Amino acid sequence: MDHSTNTPVHQDGHDSHGAPLDLAKTVRSYLKVGGVLILGTFLTVAVAYVPWMQTGVHWADTTIGLLIATIKVSFVGLLFMHLNHERGLIYKVLFFTIIFSIAMMFLFVLAFLDPIKAALLN
Amino acid sequence: MEIPYTVTARPDTGLYNAKVGIWLFLASEVMLFGGLFSSYVFLRIGADYPWPFHELKVLPGFINTMVLIISSVSIVSAWAALKARRYGWYQINMVITLLCALGFMGIKSFEYYGKFTHYSVILHDGTVMDGHPGHASEEHRGDKIALGEVKSFSVNLAKSETAFLRHRRINDGGAKPFGEVPDGQTIKVRTPSGKEVEFTQSWLNKQKRDYRDLENVRAKLATLQARIDAPKARVEDMKRAVSGNFPVPFDAAKAEVLLAEHQDLQASSASKLKELEGKIKALTAGNPDAAASTLTLQVAGDPLAFRVDERALAKYNAGEIIFRDDVILKGKLLGDSIPLNADLIDLRSVKDPENSLAWKYYPGLKPAFFKHMEEETEAFKKKHPAHANDYETNADWKRSALRVSLEELAPETEAHALMHDESKAVQVERSDKRFYTNFSPSRSPYYAIYFLMTGLHGLHVVGGSIVLGYFLFTGRRMYKRNPEHLANRVEVGGLFWHFVDLVWIFLFPVFYLL
Repeated sequence: MDHSTNTPVHQDGHDSHGAPLDLAKTVRSYLKVGGVLILGTFLTVAVAYVPWMQTGVHWADTTIGLLIATIKVSFVGLLFMHLNHERGLIYKVLFFTIIFSIAMMFLFVLAFLDPIKAALLN
Repeated sequence: MEIPYTVTARPDTGLYNAKVGIWLFLASEVMLFGGLFSSYVFLRIGADYPWPFHELKVLPGFINTMVLIISSVSIVSAWAALKARRYGWYQINMVITLLCALGFMGIKSFEYYGKFTHYSVILHDGTVMDGHPGHASEEHRGDKIALGEVKSFSVNLAKSETAFLRHRRINDGGAKPFGEVPDGQTIKVRTPSGKEVEFTQSWLNKQKRDYRDLENVRAKLATLQARIDAPKARVEDMKRAVSGNFPVPFDAAKAEVLLAEHQDLQASSASKLKELEGKIKALTAGNPDAAASTLTLQVAGDPLAFRVDERALAKYNAGEIIFRDDVILKGKLLGDSIPLNADLIDLRSVKDPENSLAWKYYPGLKPAFFKHMEEETEAFKKKHPAHANDYETNADWKRSALRVSLEELAPETEAHALMHDESKAVQVERSDKRFYTNFSPSRSPYYAIYFLMTGLHGLHVVGGSIVLGYFLFTGRRMYKRNPEHLANRVEVGGLFWHFVDLVWIFLFPVFYLL
């Protein structure tokens, strides 16, 4: 939960340069991130509903939509959850979490390895 | 006892303990939601029905996304305010966060309510008609079977209860033929023995007790009789075995011993048999109505009327309805059609849309439907020239051409009347119905996983709000004692809150948009 990307807040309420925390500046930076997230939301809706924003290929629109969502999630993770300057332990935990999550997202592929079910699904 | 490392970092991890804890918890949460998203992908890829794409209203989901983004900004600002030792700003931001949580849940409840009161009738030929089964009251909902002129009914003393009386209605002679029964109004019945009694749960319990007592004695008698007859039965078996597929020579000596044993048992058990038979006689004479499991009762007074939820029934026909607990009402079926103010017709699963069952109920809309289909086909071919010849198998074409709201098929006032005026409701024959449900998890696997994931997410919002509310309302004392400790607590709560936002950032496009 950092107050900006380059001035992390320390335990004593001072930033990394030892200056007291400038609340107004910090909140302004959070508002900017919020603005990016809102913009991302508008973009996702537009990709799904505005004809000239669409590629015309459903899977491509889906990919773009999910890509925007991933960028939004990165903003939340990096700037609001201060993963941009976190301790090594947290990164280690998250590394395994992400690996397992990605593996889990592809679990459904196993269904296609079952010849009977695959025949039903196709 | 003092909990260590609540404020200062632990030397080996470089973090205060709660932060390590929340990240481990969030890692497990990522796996939980990851598994659910994986299930969603599997269900979507394997769906053997048109996936409900763009069916949810986007606006509530969009507003909720905004609300969660605002709350994310406010919770991180609340933490920054604590770091800057500005308690007033902290309070303001926490209040904004909690108001956002409240707003989110309010919008979500509104969405859920809409789904639980919106119904779908799927007919035997695959026609789907979505709409509202009568707007006026629960009484007119389509899942009711109406039975009148009930002059007798039977109960099973082994399993029936009086729950079926909940469905009893009275004819108040007005526009509402099935009025609520006034509280405390019971019914009088005549039993097979000629007694006139009030049919209540306590009376039925008494009959059930008497029947159970009688059955217990009968069971004892049957067991004793079987024990007496066992040696004789073995002799009969031996006789049959002589000429069986695998013949066994008859052992006359053994048969003699067995028959002697049978006679001995008969003699020694005679008094017990007599005693049990006497008990049965006494119990039957004491309450002849509880002698058999089925107790048929005649209604004393005016015939009864019922309006029953189909799900409470085992089956029904023109002359009777049978509840799941074996209560059988004999009467006359007054109606079982499903009144429906449809708002959408979906023929994507119909082999021959020209002869869809939809036109049995909405013949006037048929020309408009096919005109709409032609227009959509032209537009689709223009947009996708590569699919000009195989458009009929294209899911997007099917969706735009074969799934049409009544607002697109009729002029505004007529469409409004068809959708909302109860007198314009069509009466869907129950024999045409394959499946009838509201937009709850039973509607399809899509709605099942929609409710599962958004419901679980909603529970996270509620849980997070309780924790953040606790920090807001009890934080002042901790702030005075050690502001850094409160800041750390809010940071941990905030990390959870951001995770809740993060999950929604994926849920919104997955369910509402893509």
